Amino acid sequence: MNADCGHPAPAASLADAVFAELAHALARLAETGEETVVDLRSLPFGPADLEALAEKLGTGEVTVTLAVAGRSEVRETGWAGIWWVRHFGDGEDVVAEEVQVTRIPEILVSHPDDVAFAARRMADAVVTTGPQEPTAADEEDMSRG
Amino acid sequence: MAEQKTLGERLAEHGVSRRAFVKYASWLGSLMALPPATSRAMAAELAKAKRQSVIWLSFQECTGCTESITRSKGPTLEDLIFDFISLDYHHTLQAASGEAIEAARHAAMAENKGKYVVVVDGSVPMKDGGIYSTTAGHSNYDTLMETVKDAFAVIAVGTCATYGGIPKANPNPTGAVSIGDLVKDKPVINIPGCPPIPEAMTGTVAYLLSFGKVPELDHLGRPKAFFGENIHDRCYRRPFYERGQFAHAFDDQGARDGWCLYELGCKGPVTYNACATMKWNGGVSFPIQSGHGCLGCSEPDFWDKGGFYVPLSASIGPTAKLVGGAALAGAVAGVAAAAVARHRKSSLNKG
Amino acid sequence: MDLLDFARGPAINVAMVVLVFGTLWRLLAILFLGKPADRTVPRLGTPGPVGAALREIFRRMVPHPTFAFAERFSFFNGWVFHIGLAIVVFGFRPHVLFIKNLTGLSWPTLPSGVVYVVGAITLVSLVAALVRRLTNPVQRFISGVGDYFAWFVTVFPVITGLVAVGHVGARYETLLAIHILSVALLFVWLPFGKLFHAFLVFVSRGTTGAFLARRGV
Repeated sequence: MNADCGHPAPAASLADAVFAELAHALARLAETGEETVVDLRSLPFGPADLEALAEKLGTGEVTVTLAVAGRSEVRETGWAGIWWVRHFGDGEDVVAEEVQVTRIPEILVSHPDDVAFAARRMADAVVTTGPQEPTAADEEDMSRG
Repeated sequence: MAEQKTLGERLAEHGVSRRAFVKYASWLGSLMALPPATSRAMAAELAKAKRQSVIWLSFQECTGCTESITRSKGPTLEDLIFDFISLDYHHTLQAASGEAIEAARHAAMAENKGKYVVVVDGSVPMKDGGIYSTTAGHSNYDTLMETVKDAFAVIAVGTCATYGGIPKANPNPTGAVSIGDLVKDKPVINIPGCPPIPEAMTGTVAYLLSFGKVPELDHLGRPKAFFGENIHDRCYRRPFYERGQFAHAFDDQGARDGWCLYELGCKGPVTYNACATMKWNGGVSFPIQSGHGCLGCSEPDFWDKGGFYVPLSASIGPTAKLVGGAALAGAVAGVAAAAVARHRKSSLNKG
Repeated sequence: MDLLDFARGPAINVAMVVLVFGTLWRLLAILFLGKPADRTVPRLGTPGPVGAALREIFRRMVPHPTFAFAERFSFFNGWVFHIGLAIVVFGFRPHVLFIKNLTGLSWPTLPSGVVYVVGAITLVSLVAALVRRLTNPVQRFISGVGDYFAWFVTVFPVITGLVAVGHVGARYETLLAIHILSVALLFVWLPFGKLFHAFLVFVSRGTTGAFLARRGV
């Protein structure tokens, strides 16, 4: 459909521009701890541009699949501190795609409130039924999890 | 009904962590082109927000807008909105009926005074005392005014509620008007479309919920995040327009090759909506991709713009008849003027 | 009714009525005027009136050699914007669709990008024509309000058209409405001012040619 897909030259240059921007962002993270998020959907990227950028960034040691309101995928790139995050909707549709410059993407971290809630439930579990038994809340998972 | 639990606590009880908010905010922030920092704030605010009471009023409408907003396929991202809101009144979706549901509406209004959101689909008939559409013995006008009195904001969904839509089309037999014509003392957000894109509706509600304020609107009261660009500018067929390659009929070779539909009456250049980018049914397609020109359904009076299949550059109205009459009259006037001049000249010669 | 509805509806309809009525009125009034019968016998070897008319029409398309150098600007520039206008009007698909919608007539058109470029060249050429008119003492002396107004109603649709396709300064629907209104102004003025040469240019040149060629005895 997209008439521009076939031209490798502009695709490469657009990926190069984003790559350069990410390099600056990574330097900022290293020096000041400032984090950056690049929303790949907000860029005039075609599939060829995405491929070119993915190739330049490479693959690191960590790949995580999350089951949060559909599937999500978090992958560390070949550059420590640069993460590629893809959110899927229903099935295989990518609904959001971003590159995060951070020590760890927010979505991987257990939220303090979730931790507190889990701690309460776990304490209850220890007292009442023992550690193995799942709670009613877990059963009610509504296939999100 | 109002609850004291935050959305984060509610979802946690269902075994869903706050990561869902992070993902939801990433998705919505990307759709609305919010700065990444705003998206992060949105995730935090949503988790802390209370469930939003929503009262949905249906007036002169076809229920297509409700069909659109419920058109999600499974328990995924887009449906999270139904965990974020408490739909306290909705003719089509409510289980209760009669006095009970009217009582529920009044209870929701009293409990969430000044905080609830009123969503309206359908236009309001004003002719003959508004008798053309009533619920529970009250005219739509009375129901609307009573309900919005203590609302925080009003969201008009669908072209009927936003601009009068099809009920208002010529000759407008019921004297239909839009919600914005009637509600002047509350913020009214217009989400037009016939029907609107579901994400535009849910996204606006989520924005209200997260930030407690109305998103930036255009001159027709539409959120710029969804209605900021016209279809033509973002259309994948645009290169064909620039190359001058137009389908001349719905079944010609151009149409098969996906050429521009301008000649077949596409209103994409003057229609502001997110169809070309967000698309429909979870990004499957949109009208132009399916081979039909844009009808301009998210614009006021789209029904009365001279015809869906008349090219945008063509005149509307009885131009051909008028021109024919003018040609006849001009010819008569010209010949008569020549005859008068000849007559005068010959009488001068004789004289 | 918004501005675009007004432009596409009442405004352009009224303008078309005025254009067609005015054109036929003036054209037929002139064509049926007739001329006094010439009772002389043409000399031998005198060209017929049709041939003479055609010859004059083509002869006047280039300046007389005596004035070729002095008139080089008017000659070239005049051709540029006249051909440019013709390409823009009859080579741009949306314009042809206006005609097709009224008459059913249609023909192949140019890529829109080509038309944009031609439109820009036409605009530059029209501006040059105005500059020339203002700076050349003779032209300036013989120019009246009618000449400047004719220039304005010609250049206005070109400018508004280019602004509309370029989305400059306002929303597209507003720019398109202004463009159509500017065309309506051109249509209304065309039969009554010097722009009527669009219809008369070959009539007058042909008539002159036929008249001057005839040698009676």
